[in-house]
Amino acid sequence: MTLETAMRLSEVIMSLAFLQQSAEHMMGVRLERMLYGLRILLCLVLLTGAANAWALLALLCLGWITLQQFQGPYNGGSDRMSLLILTCLCAARWAPHPILQETIYAYLGFQLVMSYVMSGWVKLKNPEWRSGEALCDVFRFSAYPVSEALRDWARAPRILTILSWGVILFEVLFPLALFTHLTLYGALVLAAAFHLSNACLFGLNRFFWIWLSAYPAILWLQDRVMYGAEITYAV
Amino acid sequence: MLNTLKLIFPALIPSWRFFSSVAPSPRVEYALSVDALTPPKDWFEFRPRPEHVPFVQMLRRMLWNPQWNETLYLVSCSERLIAAPTQHSAQEIQKRVARDVMRGTPPPSPATMLYFRLVFLDRIGADIIKSIEYESAGIEISKAYPHDT
Repeated sequence: MTLETAMRLSEVIMSLAFLQQSAEHMMGVRLERMLYGLRILLCLVLLTGAANAWALLALLCLGWITLQQFQGPYNGGSDRMSLLILTCLCAARWAPHPILQETIYAYLGFQLVMSYVMSGWVKLKNPEWRSGEALCDVFRFSAYPVSEALRDWARAPRILTILSWGVILFEVLFPLALFTHLTLYGALVLAAAFHLSNACLFGLNRFFWIWLSAYPAILWLQDRVMYGAEITYAV
Repeated sequence: MLNTLKLIFPALIPSWRFFSSVAPSPRVEYALSVDALTPPKDWFEFRPRPEHVPFVQMLRRMLWNPQWNETLYLVSCSERLIAAPTQHSAQEIQKRVARDVMRGTPPPSPATMLYFRLVFLDRIGADIIKSIEYESAGIEISKAYPHDT
């Protein structure tokens, strides 16, 4: 995959993810509707591919204003990932040299890997995660389960312990998937399924869409590092 | 400027510590009273989750989930309000609770007083413990969510 193809794919998927997020804010208060209405227009410009660098820059400025407006991320990790992807794509588009452009986009791929490794590592260090107790607590009393019926899952501690270890091992071992195309594709399908289940059980729908838009970065980075794809400048 | 950097920095160099531990979990509750002199009596959970969500609806929410995402935002505001109290967090909760209450039937009179409180749930041993960590002063509901908001 060339750098241009990967970056364009990220831009398109990110724009679609932003459109989904922004549409939800059209139900919000007036200032939200104004900010996210403008974001919808900028995403449509980015989708046409007519003025990518300028559209990304405007989206980034708007992202900072929104961050101020909510005094932090509106939707936790998914907003942080949104801003990270947007910053990397914008900086890469404005980078004056192909090496710099590659480095910036590679940083996004690296952070995607870290998003799995670090969240697996912090769970692995925590005895409550290792015993399955933490996942039981998520279902038992956290704010995340989308229905009361899902709280009954806390009564199946053995299954939740197996699920906890499944998540921990998948996350910490994720970098091993980088060794071949097949394992990376497999790992990304599994990761997407993990985000999908989080979306269904905990209502974290925005995580699913925005994480997808970072996947081209890791696919490109694997090509670049493992198979030595040649340097091209994305314009 | 420093505040902006403090907000942007965690996005550019994230820690990715999702669910590193399960912290006490907030719920927003609200109460109404007819005027400022009458204390609030009954407290209601704001947007209690439904008993059951069908799988088809879960899939639909992949594309359209504004209310749930706003509820998660209020969870963040509640946690911020306890960790580092600001007017912003309190107003965000107040405004969104007031909007939902005003959309109810019958709508309350504009002079109705709105109160909210934050109840945190935590597990101590095998028991789930509830504690009230914050209770707001009353505000006229029409001031909490003015018409032009």
